[in-house]
Amino acid sequence: MDRGVLMASVGSQPSSGLSPAMAGMEFSDAEVMLRVRTGDQSAFDYLVQKYRRPLVGFMYRMARNTAAAEDLAQEVFLRVYRSRETYEPSAKFTTWLYRIATNLAVNHARDTRHERPEVTVSIDEPDEDTGATFEVPDGTLTAEQAMVRRERLLAIRRKVEALPERQRLAVIMHKYQQMDYKQIAEVLKLSESATKSLLFRAYETLREQLKEFV
Amino acid sequence: MKCDEIREKMPDVAAGLIAATGDESKHLATCDACAGKLAEFRQTMALLDEWQAPEPSPYFDVRLQARLREEMAKPQAGWLQWFRRPVLATALTLLMGIGVGLFFTRGRGIYNPGPDQSIAENFGSVEPGSAVSDLQALEKNHELYADFELLDDLQVQDDVVANP
Ligand SMILES: [Zn+2]
Repeated sequence: MDRGVLMASVGSQPSSGLSPAMAGMEFSDAEVMLRVRTGDQSAFDYLVQKYRRPLVGFMYRMARNTAAAEDLAQEVFLRVYRSRETYEPSAKFTTWLYRIATNLAVNHARDTRHERPEVTVSIDEPDEDTGATFEVPDGTLTAEQAMVRRERLLAIRRKVEALPERQRLAVIMHKYQQMDYKQIAEVLKLSESATKSLLFRAYETLREQLKEFV
Repeated sequence: MKCDEIREKMPDVAAGLIAATGDESKHLATCDACAGKLAEFRQTMALLDEWQAPEPSPYFDVRLQARLREEMAKPQAGWLQWFRRPVLATALTLLMGIGVGLFFTRGRGIYNPGPDQSIAENFGSVEPGSAVSDLQALEKNHELYADFELLDDLQVQDDVVANP
């Protein structure tokens, strides 16, 4: 996850062009971050392009709405930028990045703990809360099927949200950010075995509580 | 192979992060309990897949750029805050004292700056890598590292509550 191929000619995923010095070479994100430290703006843009989508996704599942998720993801990048001068590649870049993200997400969750808006969604409108449209492109779902699907989505979201903080973080990183035990352990400052059991318990809870939707 | 050994790897296997090894596959083929457990995990994972996150909006980059420009426009914002933090303020005062002391000592002694060089010029810019710039960097990151303490905080919380 940490090692990205920085090809200036390669298109979409990180799409920003890098400075000529870096184009066509392979760098780890930590090395790119050291370029940011020397004032290379294109290196920072590269990191933004590479991690904006995963970070918005992470924040979206930790916060409760899209606007807050984007705000928080931007805040992560601002903090990365602010700490460019003192960045030391002692940990994997993504571990460091997700530690910043986790702190912001946890803070936000604690600050907004009491704001629990009731979810209201209609079938054909994009849901403010889940960001999902319940319309199916080929239109094969009946209104009733769409309703069932909506119920299921809300249940998934609520059950993940109801997990204890650390379990929720671990599940989101594992399931949706494709991070392995080792990395999650590093971000959460836990042992690997503690992380394994944390995840195991979390999935057991989810399996049990979502049984009716399987 | 014991059931426990394979079970702790099931979340990774079910999520498709790793594949079952030969030994594990053999065990799964003969142990109904483990095979059933893995099937359950896979179902849960498939269900969780339904929860999709939205793509960043078209305004994401624009807003981030604006916030970055704002950030760059306030390079000295940390200065005033130092004096509100006793430790840093003391350290800074001490450094400035030493700096001024050195300047005058050196000015009178071996090193004599040219007549056109004023005190203001000497203190106006901060050399990267100097003690003052290090302090500035330290201050900028204070916020970041203070936040990291929150992670330690997480460990205090117990998970027992939600998983009786
Ligand atoms: Zn078994």
